[in-house]
Amino acid sequence: MIYFLLFTEFFKIGIFSLGGGYATLPFLYHMSETYHWFSADELSRMLAISSITPGPVGLNVATFAGYKTGGILGSVDATMAIMIPSFIIVIFISKILKKFQDNFYIKAALYALRPATAAMIAAVGVRLFSGSIVLNMPKNPSSFLNSLSNGFLTPGEYIDIRAFMLLVFLFILSLRLKRDPLIYLLIGAVFGILLHFGHILNLFQKTFL
Amino acid sequence: MKPKLHEMFVSFLKIGALLLGGGYVIVPLLNSELVDKRGWVTKEDVIDFYALGQCVPGIIAANTTFFIGYKLRGRMGAVVAFLGLILPPFLCIIFLASFLGKFSRNVIMNDVFWGVNVAIIILLFLTVKEVWAKSVVDKFTLFIFLFILTLMLVGVSPSVSIVLSAFLGILYKKIKCICKGLKAANETREDISG
Repeated sequence: MIYFLLFTEFFKIGIFSLGGGYATLPFLYHMSETYHWFSADELSRMLAISSITPGPVGLNVATFAGYKTGGILGSVDATMAIMIPSFIIVIFISKILKKFQDNFYIKAALYALRPATAAMIAAVGVRLFSGSIVLNMPKNPSSFLNSLSNGFLTPGEYIDIRAFMLLVFLFILSLRLKRDPLIYLLIGAVFGILLHFGHILNLFQKTFL
Repeated sequence: MKPKLHEMFVSFLKIGALLLGGGYVIVPLLNSELVDKRGWVTKEDVIDFYALGQCVPGIIAANTTFFIGYKLRGRMGAVVAFLGLILPPFLCIIFLASFLGKFSRNVIMNDVFWGVNVAIIILLFLTVKEVWAKSVVDKFTLFIFLFILTLMLVGVSPSVSIVLSAFLGILYKKIKCICKGLKAANETREDISG
């Protein structure tokens, strides 16, 4: 039963993802590897769409992934499954609010869970980085070293130079800009079109000439 | 005065539709809609519930909504507030998802996704930086960060990593407590003998 499996998998995310929207991503990438409901490539496309539509990114991606796996029913299934654990926990905590905040075990667990969450999100960053910047991972290191020593290595062969430049530009911007995600996404979208100007030109030629 | 359920639904519907660019944008939205306009909760409530929402697993914006909804109208309030919050994004995603096939074939749309994905790398970096600043405070937390990063990169399941780090945290704090106790006991012993 796909819906049951979908439910248990997203229920698990609801229990274990701590630290906001992006914290659901490591689970989803893991899911794509285990069940092949969607590919990692499709997932990054879903992530892009979820980021530029309203709503919490984590929930949007869950809705999207559910839809991809089981249609509208699948999306309702996934969205509910991911929220039920936190609903129960929130109701429970609301009742014992004071005790929860001072509990030794909760404090000790959170003390380690927060850096763990940072690490998990960082791992997704590494994955996205190697997905969109690094074009061809050198298959075997020896040939990579060979071409390096022969001076044949052209960086364009291994990294998407345009993507790398955009990343550096956004990074420099992030040092001065306020942290409003929308600005970065917008700049990314605009530069995505501008840096592939040939595509628009092509489209223009095809339609009008 | 307790707010009516349908009023809550409409308020959270608005917040859900305007929640652009990530979950933490919910704080200013809650402030303008629930504090300034409706006067149902105070600014301090919003900050407290947002902080608590981060300690609970799941999506932070939704957790915050649960907390506020529960405070306003109990369990029913939490459900209604949440449904209001997710309805606009849910419909939006379903609508776009049914076009995804056409989207993926569109060259220009792919360029947009290409750029957005690069931007997301920076957003992830900023998120990590922010969480890091608050959480990697000593050698143990640095060890946890590096350890979990390694586990994730070699493909260990995220659930296992989470349970493991919670366990290590409790173990570490317990040992520290015991060590402190022993040290204190030793000191008093030395005091007595000296």
